[in-house]
Amino acid sequence: MKLYALLLLSFRSVGRNTRRSILTATAMALGLALLIFSRSIAEGGHEQWIDSAVRLGTGHVAIQAPEYLETGRLEHRLDSTQVRRVVRALEDTAVAGTVRTWVPRLTVSGLASSASSALPVRIEGVDPARERVFSTLPDQLVEGRYLEPGDRLHAFVGEELARRLDLKVGGRFVLTAQVASGQVEGQMMRVAGIFHTGIQEMDEGLVHVPLETMRRWLGVPGAVTTIAVLLDSSRETEATVSILRQELDGARGVRVMGWRQASPEMDSAVRIDDYGDYLFHTILFAIIALAVLNAVMMSVLGRKREFGILQALGLTGGETGLVVLGEGLFLTAASGLLGMVAGFVFTWVFFRHGLDFSAFMSEGMSASGGVIDPVIVPVFRYDQVLLSVASILVIGTLASLYPAVRASKLDVAEAMKFEQ
Amino acid sequence: MSSQGNGSGSAVRTEDVWKVYPQEPSPVEAVRGLTLDIEPGDFVAMAGPSGSGKTTVLNILGALTRPTRGKVWVGGEEVTALSERRLARLRLERIGFVFQAYNLLPVLTAMENAEFTLLLRGVPAEERHRRVRALFDEIGLEGLADRRPSKLSGGQQQRVAVARAVVGQPALVLADEPTANLDSASSAALLEVMERLNHEHGTTFVFSTHDPRVMERAHRLIRLVDGRIDRDERQDPHAGNG
Repeated sequence: MKLYALLLLSFRSVGRNTRRSILTATAMALGLALLIFSRSIAEGGHEQWIDSAVRLGTGHVAIQAPEYLETGRLEHRLDSTQVRRVVRALEDTAVAGTVRTWVPRLTVSGLASSASSALPVRIEGVDPARERVFSTLPDQLVEGRYLEPGDRLHAFVGEELARRLDLKVGGRFVLTAQVASGQVEGQMMRVAGIFHTGIQEMDEGLVHVPLETMRRWLGVPGAVTTIAVLLDSSRETEATVSILRQELDGARGVRVMGWRQASPEMDSAVRIDDYGDYLFHTILFAIIALAVLNAVMMSVLGRKREFGILQALGLTGGETGLVVLGEGLFLTAASGLLGMVAGFVFTWVFFRHGLDFSAFMSEGMSASGGVIDPVIVPVFRYDQVLLSVASILVIGTLASLYPAVRASKLDVAEAMKFEQ
Repeated sequence: MSSQGNGSGSAVRTEDVWKVYPQEPSPVEAVRGLTLDIEPGDFVAMAGPSGSGKTTVLNILGALTRPTRGKVWVGGEEVTALSERRLARLRLERIGFVFQAYNLLPVLTAMENAEFTLLLRGVPAEERHRRVRALFDEIGLEGLADRRPSKLSGGQQQRVAVARAVVGQPALVLADEPTANLDSASSAALLEVMERLNHEHGTTFVFSTHDPRVMERAHRLIRLVDGRIDRDERQDPHAGNG
């Protein structure tokens, strides 16, 4: 009953200075709406960026021989038995539901040479049908076609490599690499298509060739250096890695890595971007906290006598403080609810198809192995939204604490002298 | 000597109460050795010039401030050593206040203001409303229950404040210059209300005042000068009417 009386006073007091309460609530709600919007854009941007990088790279999850990431050498490969076991784990266990697709890749460093020049390249043996689903590289075609099942001596090369080797579609060149026996052997290839990603190291240093051709050439039947796994979302990476590690616990010479481990550069870039967001959010939270503090403080300063009356009528100092705290909480809760709805509605109505940043980005902008799409589609993460709302509530509570403590500590007799 | 025994039988009692405010260059003695015994059902006016200590005495009797030394009993309970929580409880259950500036809670209606202490005490809604309505009818506030204080006249607000002070049937009602902000008609009406409540319900009233008309109506008049009792006399409130 007493709590009801305190809550009644708190609730009614929010409406005492309607203009001030509305202004404060609006500032807080706008802050939260902005927070939800910016988080959804940041999440959407990250997800697209990560998606681009993992599709061009080693997937959300990379399964390799333990030493391969550090050495990149052919001897550190997965043999056909290990590959079968990994594939079984991907297709028949609890992770099957989250795995969108996977691709086998056999990658070595080598040399591409034509009549006019020679350049160091990364040669990637791929399954063309699977690669079409997994990778965005086939979509970056500028001339010719991507590899197809049944291709044997066809290669898909970057635009810059083709230019520097003076290659055209249908032109021939030689790939040279160290094979399993330790010998250096060459393989004649024909250009099936040319791609352009905007990422320099790919455009001048990556060659896709059919996996079976690569295996025969290198003398490693059934082997791969990486099985790259694409998931429905990057947020499922940790859980998938954990399950796969358990599933492949007994498989010797198999290492399961998330994209953060497999691509430390990308991981760092995302973290740095996240820190930037956190800084922005901290500033936003500080502004919101000041708005609440100001509103509640002004309200308290003008009501010293009233708090004296409350204590004269039988409230303790602590209960008087609770009235003030409740006032801040009501204001914050209402603002939080309003801000959450406004944030969702604003983002959904205006930007559900994406926010176009192309005016601020050069074409083909890339970072950390991923091509940055200038159109960012917002992604709501409910845990992030709830965290934002909870943060606002905590900040509202903390900002109301000081005025509440002040109200609880006043000298009743002195407060009664304070004329209204 | 038990503390209970010392004040039993009194609505409020003080024994050698001092209130000294530390101040430069020398401390201010607002109350000096006040010894007072007010019986239940009494109707007491405390008069004196500004600075004589009237408000400080009321604050001490109402457990709003602690005396620097001396003892105070309210309804038989020694209050000077009570914790803040116990003092709040004491104010809630045994003391009613009426202030010069009405001091109703502006966010509550007249009814909610009047029933506020009953709400804090956990009295059920039906009982609260019944008691407040009866009181409102008795003191001429019928039909005003749902109005906020800003929609009431000064006299009406002060009557709501009186209703709030007496509705919980406290041992003592303290009123600090209750008529100071009222015109003479409203003052007379308010005094009538307080007298009737005193007479019919036996409520003890102690009020500070400058108003000679209020002093005339008191059964006991205490004059304070410089924090001491200068005169303390019983009087016949109807003698002047003649």
